[in-house]
Amino acid sequence: MSRPDEMAAAALPQAAVPQPRRARRIPEMLAIWLVLVALLVLAGVLSDAFLRPVYLGNIVRQAAPIGIAAVGVTLVMILGGVDLSIGATISLGAVVCAAVMAGEPANIAPAVVLACLAGAAVGTLNGALIAFTGVSPFILTLGTAITLYGVTQLITGGTAHGIVAPGFREAFNIRIGGVLPVLGLAFVGVAGLGLAVQRLTTFGRRLYLIGSNPATARLAGLPVRRTVLIAYALSGLFGGLGGLALLARSGVSGSLAASGYEFDVLAAVVLGGTTFEGGRGGIGGTVAGVLILFVAFNLVNVVGLPYHAQLVVKGAVIIAASALYRRMREARQA
Amino acid sequence: MMAASVTRRAVAGPPILWVAALLLALAAALLPGFFSPDNLANVARQSAVLALLAIGQTFVVVAGLMDLSVGMLATLVLVLAADLMDGRAEATLAAVGLAVALGAGIGALTGVLNNALRINSLILTLGMLTILQGVTFIYTDQSLGAPSPAITWLANGELFGLPPSFLLVLVATGLAHVALHHTRFGVHLAAVGGAVQSARQAGIAVDHVVLVAFVISGLSAGLAGLLLLGRLGTGYPNAGVGLELDAIVAVVLGGTALAGGRGSVVASVAAAVVLGMVSNMLNLLEVSSFLQMVIKGGVVIVVILIGQIRPEVAR
Repeated sequence: MSRPDEMAAAALPQAAVPQPRRARRIPEMLAIWLVLVALLVLAGVLSDAFLRPVYLGNIVRQAAPIGIAAVGVTLVMILGGVDLSIGATISLGAVVCAAVMAGEPANIAPAVVLACLAGAAVGTLNGALIAFTGVSPFILTLGTAITLYGVTQLITGGTAHGIVAPGFREAFNIRIGGVLPVLGLAFVGVAGLGLAVQRLTTFGRRLYLIGSNPATARLAGLPVRRTVLIAYALSGLFGGLGGLALLARSGVSGSLAASGYEFDVLAAVVLGGTTFEGGRGGIGGTVAGVLILFVAFNLVNVVGLPYHAQLVVKGAVIIAASALYRRMREARQA
Repeated sequence: MMAASVTRRAVAGPPILWVAALLLALAAALLPGFFSPDNLANVARQSAVLALLAIGQTFVVVAGLMDLSVGMLATLVLVLAADLMDGRAEATLAAVGLAVALGAGIGALTGVLNNALRINSLILTLGMLTILQGVTFIYTDQSLGAPSPAITWLANGELFGLPPSFLLVLVATGLAHVALHHTRFGVHLAAVGGAVQSARQAGIAVDHVVLVAFVISGLSAGLAGLLLLGRLGTGYPNAGVGLELDAIVAVVLGGTALAGGRGSVVASVAAAVVLGMVSNMLNLLEVSSFLQMVIKGGVVIVVILIGQIRPEVAR
């Protein structure tokens, strides 16, 4: 077996991986979902209302903006990159959408399209610069974030800007079967789409290969630059969609509406088992990571801790989960 | 090849210095007010907080790590010190003690956790950032307290015609420069950042070196918190939001690679001052704060890209 093929075997997602590998990959994915279930059981014990379908549907709805954006960032991080401009991209999506809508229902369609295009454009720019100059994605996307926050503030004049058209928020907040809001369904749908891209496409497989070992991937003749470019473009696109979700959830289109979300998105992705080093993890874990963060937030409120204790819990969960993953991986390699 | 390497030599030095030279030339041509002693002192005062944070961050980055917790650590110190002093002169020493103890203590905790858990420092310190922010907000979610006169003087006053905060930064830069380039610790730190396995095999006490780097970073955050309190005049619990990223930007603009292994404190401080110069000049030009952000982000991207493209040309 040639070296690139070995790499492939080591790094491919379940789809094309031999059976033993698959068996060894499952526990980690399972672990994160078990943590979610344990958290829900705990919530059910502590509060009667928590496990009611309407409440759970609400949590999924709350999680939608960050969750949708986290799907795209997961693709970038599998690749070994990072997108710190995601918070600014979410803000940009929300601001562009509200500004174009200007309160007219007829403008909803162009507003949605333009918000997605704006997000994708930002992602494409990030991707092109990273792919063709090899600049550190951490610092480049940090620069993009600063620039973008400036741009969105220029659009809005620093205050809430644009008017959400009647019907836009209502449509996203209809509860299907009285339980799951459309916005929650959108999150599930986007995650499903991302999962399909990650598992079923050649592009998805290349992400893992490049993330595991970029030099080998290049030597093996993979189109590294194109893959990097597309991954960041998708991250931007999903960021734009996250902006739409934020607008639909809160109705707020302030330029700093999603400021700081980049850290929440990163936390969710890492909780889900995707690492900064790249080559492992995936969107399935990210969805669980997002839900864990939001269930934990709600749990802090339900238990009656001060609101800001959410932050302490979040920080502790991030550190503890990462440490646990590390142990699990080492145990498996030993 | 020859031409390429000559080109490389011609543009040697961190790109930030060329940006600084360009900015100074622009200022000389367009903004005569920029060179007034008062304005230069202002630039120094505005840059001091970021410069202190950049000094501490340089040590962590040279070790191949990152410390995102510094912005919120500075904020926690700021809020607690403001509440402790509440404008009273006699509480100054206690506040300085608090800043040093809390800064070094949290830095040590981060270092110990880094060594014990061995998770990515970015994610560890992101967790620390979040926890520290939670603790700060639980303590207070509105402004409280005030700096003592001495702290206000440190941030805004004058000593021999110079801003005391600037002198503090100079002293800290000198000490840090010596520590990084002329001590065993500095050599070991660079070795750890360059190749941690080799460093361990060479008998370097990696965990100890990393711990000290985080303590230095925490210490600089504690002092930066005091200085920021002096600037603001009140314990504002959102004061340091985003400072950690600004500090990393300054370190990278100074030419220190995020991959670790090498770096310069002097260049990091220079980059922090250049960032202060940029916003000062834009203020003098009455550019809106929104456009300033666009320009600042653009400067970051362009300088990073220049630094990035250079080695490729040389190859």
